Amino acid sequence: MRRTVWAIPVLVIASGCASYSQTERAKSQIAFGSEVARKGLWREAQFRFEQAIAKEPGNARAHNNLAVALEATGEFARALEEYKKALQLDPNDSYIRRNYARFAEFYTSYTRTTGKAAGAP
Amino acid sequence: MRWVRRAAAASALALGLLAAPLSAGVSQVRLKLPLKPRLPLRGNEKLALAPFILVTEAEKARDKRLQNVDLQAEFHRFLKKQVDKKTKLEVIETPSEVKLPTQNLTELARSTEFWRSVGAMTGADIIVSGSLEFRIEDRSGYKTEEYVSPINGQTYYRQVYVEQTGFLFDIVFLVFDGHSGEKLLQDEFKDFRQTGGRRADELQGLFENLFSLENQILNLFVAREREADRYIFTD
Repeated sequence: MRRTVWAIPVLVIASGCASYSQTERAKSQIAFGSEVARKGLWREAQFRFEQAIAKEPGNARAHNNLAVALEATGEFARALEEYKKALQLDPNDSYIRRNYARFAEFYTSYTRTTGKAAGAP
Repeated sequence: MRWVRRAAAASALALGLLAAPLSAGVSQVRLKLPLKPRLPLRGNEKLALAPFILVTEAEKARDKRLQNVDLQAEFHRFLKKQVDKKTKLEVIETPSEVKLPTQNLTELARSTEFWRSVGAMTGADIIVSGSLEFRIEDRSGYKTEEYVSPINGQTYYRQVYVEQTGFLFDIVFLVFDGHSGEKLLQDEFKDFRQTGGRRADELQGLFENLFSLENQILNLFVAREREADRYIFTD
């Protein structure tokens, strides 16, 4: 009984450390991705944000950044999906909301003019 | 049971550490969004500039300043220059004997036979027409202004007379297939500029309007870029 009770915090800490390490790795990918994004290297940034999402799928910031990178490379349909995921994960973040609103305005006029979703299969 | 409490405290500490808020670094970036051309063109087609319906005719009688502007000629010259400079399309002016069959925009859009004949006459692949409206609006009037008194430092509101002129430009573009006469596209662009002074120059106002619409107009025929600001998280 005593051993079982001690096992609980050990397991919590172990799983927490693993998750924390995943978060840290996602954060470092986001940091690097945002750095190259500011230099205009959007393909590299996109790759980094995708890596961040692979490590931490529930990271709203990574989804937001990926959406911006996809916008920059003209993949608007995928950008829309990523903005939606980011908003689902963190509906109260004002930056994500502002990005999405601006993108939605642009995308509506874009699809109206081209008659189809850009980057759509 | 002391060890149970200790274990629970250790778990809580572990969870607490994991739930610690992350610092929020945000950076603003400027994107250049690629805009696809509205018309599916190869890029080297022959484009005929046909006359446009002038919606300002009735206004001219009331505003003498509009009489100084040859809207049709100025707009044609502007469009030809921009298309020549920024696309590989070959611009053809339609012969002066080509007169629009109607002054009604809806009927003009349906005049397939007429546009096919213009296409055959000029050898154009696409024909551009539509309607133009240019209005000068006197927006002068009294406006409420905040005023801080230098004597007692209190804020007052006072009425001041402000002279302003507004320039409104509204274009409806109709683009036709020169071979079939079918309408390929219809779109409307509007711009409003306001300048100080009652006697602002009308031609200057017209070109302010046109230059602000330049990107949208050219995007009908060729790919353009649009700048947009977005936020990215840095951690």
